[in-house]
Amino acid sequence: MPVDQAPARTAITASNVTRQYVGGTFTAVDDISMELRENEIVCFIGPSGCGKTTMLRMIAGLEYPSMGDLTIFGKPITGPGPDRGMIFQAYTSFPWLTARKNIEYGMKIMGLSRDERSRRSDEFLKLVHLDGFGDSYPASLSGGMKQRVAIARTLAQNPGVLLMDEPFGALDAQVRWEMQEMMIEIIERENTTVVTVTHDIQEAIYLSDRIIFFTRSPGRIKADIPVSFKEGRRIPRKEEMLALPGYVDLERQLFAMMREEIQQK
Amino acid sequence: MLRAAGRSGSGVIRLRKRDGEDANQIARRSLSLFELRTVLSGRTTLLLGLAGATGFFVIWEIGHYLTPEESQRFLPAPQEVLGALITLLVEKDYIADILKSCFRIFASFFAACLIAVPLGIAMGCFMRLRALLNPTISAFRYLPAASFIPLLLVWFGPTDTQKLALLVLGVIFFLVALILDNTKAVQPELIEAALTMGAGRRQVVTEVVVPAVAPAVVDSMRNMIAVGWTYLVIAEIVAASDGIGAVMMRAGRFLKVDIIMAGILTIGFLGVATDILFRLAARYAFPWNRERGD
Repeated sequence: MPVDQAPARTAITASNVTRQYVGGTFTAVDDISMELRENEIVCFIGPSGCGKTTMLRMIAGLEYPSMGDLTIFGKPITGPGPDRGMIFQAYTSFPWLTARKNIEYGMKIMGLSRDERSRRSDEFLKLVHLDGFGDSYPASLSGGMKQRVAIARTLAQNPGVLLMDEPFGALDAQVRWEMQEMMIEIIERENTTVVTVTHDIQEAIYLSDRIIFFTRSPGRIKADIPVSFKEGRRIPRKEEMLALPGYVDLERQLFAMMREEIQQK
Repeated sequence: MLRAAGRSGSGVIRLRKRDGEDANQIARRSLSLFELRTVLSGRTTLLLGLAGATGFFVIWEIGHYLTPEESQRFLPAPQEVLGALITLLVEKDYIADILKSCFRIFASFFAACLIAVPLGIAMGCFMRLRALLNPTISAFRYLPAASFIPLLLVWFGPTDTQKLALLVLGVIFFLVALILDNTKAVQPELIEAALTMGAGRRQVVTEVVVPAVAPAVVDSMRNMIAVGWTYLVIAEIVAASDGIGAVMMRAGRFLKVDIIMAGILTIGFLGVATDILFRLAARYAFPWNRERGD
């Protein structure tokens, strides 16, 4: 359960990463360096327009740094790849495929055999609590279920790192909470390294071992905060976390930082 | 919701009841034609549609009788036009002309799609290709297809090829533009999701963009084949001896308005039939696409 097994490998490094747009007039990410360890759950948090999503998309290989280097397990990131699974805020389950075929799609790209695909799709349908919905098209699924299809599809590829860009942002509060607990359960089981972007402070505290707070334009790291009150535990029920000493202090600290950032113009 | 309820046994009764309620509402509010956000049952929609069509024929009929008797042959009554249509079918081998026109429409439209669909999708996917071709193709949209008739006559003579070419020219540029727009509207996250799963460029295009855009492309095709039907008469007016348009032109020379109108009706009917055919095909081909309205 705890994440303190042996010296963890480095999953992702960023060295002096800068991302500029519109011919250098707008800097989204400014000279960021960080090191994310294997099996760590890290949240990027910060006000809107702080470059946290840009940073995540660069790790995914969907955008490129203007300057600086990014590596995954020591290899330079040159483009997107199945070693970094990505969950988007928008529903990305393919509407023309059934839930099962969606989950099998990533495995098909990887060249897994038909038997292997159907065995693993069963397993992952169960993992995201969608057993019985394998033959449904996304149009007949709720938002949370569509998102679970996308999560299962990504995890079925067994990515070394799972990247999530405000994955539950489009869901209502109750479903978001259910999804957060489901994520904890899945991450714990799959032992995945996770980077999540969110602007939901409680979500950041609940999900992560470590919170990286971004400042607003240009995006820099304001603080790198270990979520130490959880003592490395992944807590299955959210209310248990709320009862832990230290929770409120961290939440208050993050709210204060958020206010600071918002008030600076 | 209504339709879903109609499937279960007990729901059928509820459906009827709802329908009754709808009818009551229309009866109660004196003229609820202009009520906002009304939910109509399928039956009400059908009845209103039939009422509209009947209204059209009634107004036509009245118009015919209001016309002074000596000019009534310039506005024949609906039943006279229907009579002319039957005479055409039975005695004048009109079926051959209809088939000829259908061949021209479908062959030319098939050819136009063969080029426009892949080109539109490719232009939607690849920015450089779009930048290269779009200004020229957009400009061609503003050239009236009819103005190509003299040129096509010089090139191909009064042949079928000339007519097919005109029909192709009439729709192809619009079709490319529409399909380009359809492709641009594909949700970018679908493409990015495929990329992060390790899909290559070819896979992204064939396994994500094409299925994602397919229903919209069929919609665009449905709309453009309607435009194709409107070009048919233009294509068959000049240097044509067969086809619905040619029949109408010949009738015009002898002031046979009933035959002209029969031709118009034929084209209208065939147009609607094509439309329904496309809708059914889309419903059958994309069972996953529930958002499609009717």
